[in-house]
Amino acid sequence: MIVCVAIVGHQNNPLYIQSFTDGDDALKLHHVVHCSLDVVDERVNNPKKSGPMLNETYLGLLYPTENYKVYGYLTNTKVKFISVTTDLDVKDADVRNFFRKFHAAYVDAVSNPFHVPGKKITSKTFAERISTIVKAFGLSSAG
Amino acid sequence: MGREVSESCVESLLIEMVSSYCNRFYADKQELAARRIEAIGYQVGHQLSERYTMERPRFSDHLEAIKFICKDFWSEIFKKQIDNLKTNHRGTFVLQDNHFRWLSRMSIESSPEMVVSSPDGEDKASQAMSMHLYFPCGIIRGALSNLGIPCAVSADISSLPACSFVIRIKA
Repeated sequence: MIVCVAIVGHQNNPLYIQSFTDGDDALKLHHVVHCSLDVVDERVNNPKKSGPMLNETYLGLLYPTENYKVYGYLTNTKVKFISVTTDLDVKDADVRNFFRKFHAAYVDAVSNPFHVPGKKITSKTFAERISTIVKAFGLSSAG
Repeated sequence: MGREVSESCVESLLIEMVSSYCNRFYADKQELAARRIEAIGYQVGHQLSERYTMERPRFSDHLEAIKFICKDFWSEIFKKQIDNLKTNHRGTFVLQDNHFRWLSRMSIESSPEMVVSSPDGEDKASQAMSMHLYFPCGIIRGALSNLGIPCAVSADISSLPACSFVIRIKA
């Protein structure tokens, strides 16, 4: 189950961050997302460590903490998508699929003429779409 | 999920946009009109590049990004690719489109009713024509800066209907 998703711009400015838990872990999840940004930068700037898949958008598992797994995705426009999940066995294909739908929703939100590039995404349609995608991810990996 | 609009609508909108900015909003400040039009193009290019780079892997260097502009980006917007790409390998690229779609129905021959001496008439006509080029220059600049490449873009219409765009990458 995905507990938190975040979109971070190319200057590491937050564009959208949303947690899907009931508890008060929101701050802890924000901290996890923040730490993962360093891992993304390291992966991108260090070609030896990332291996053959240097130019792919999907970055894979960034780092596992004791309860969470953090996945990353970097677009061509240097925008990072981070997803934090509590599932222990997550199929790579499911996460890739999730990020693809997430990217499509992001592109639609950014194409809004009233959206200011670099500022936070405030569209309610976008928020609803993201929660639909997150719920669909939960269902597909549980089945 | 995409809705389609007829091409003539888009062209009419662009022509009206240039005409409004040059003749109504900034009638005696052509420089400002040009900059506003270029800024609109910048935002459009920014958003379009986000959409058209969606499925692609990341670019490894500037040349790949410019090639993307010449091939995929240009075909999405103008249904054709750039015909000729030249570079001096030091940050300047010249993109030549032999039949630029948005200018294909415009001519810069001054009309016989205008009683002006011929060099002046041609200058005014080509200046009016060049206002229409600020928007595509802005689109290219917006797309490249979203890909992390700050640059300056200018256009050259010395040989219609061919049109060249000169991209100078800021170091």
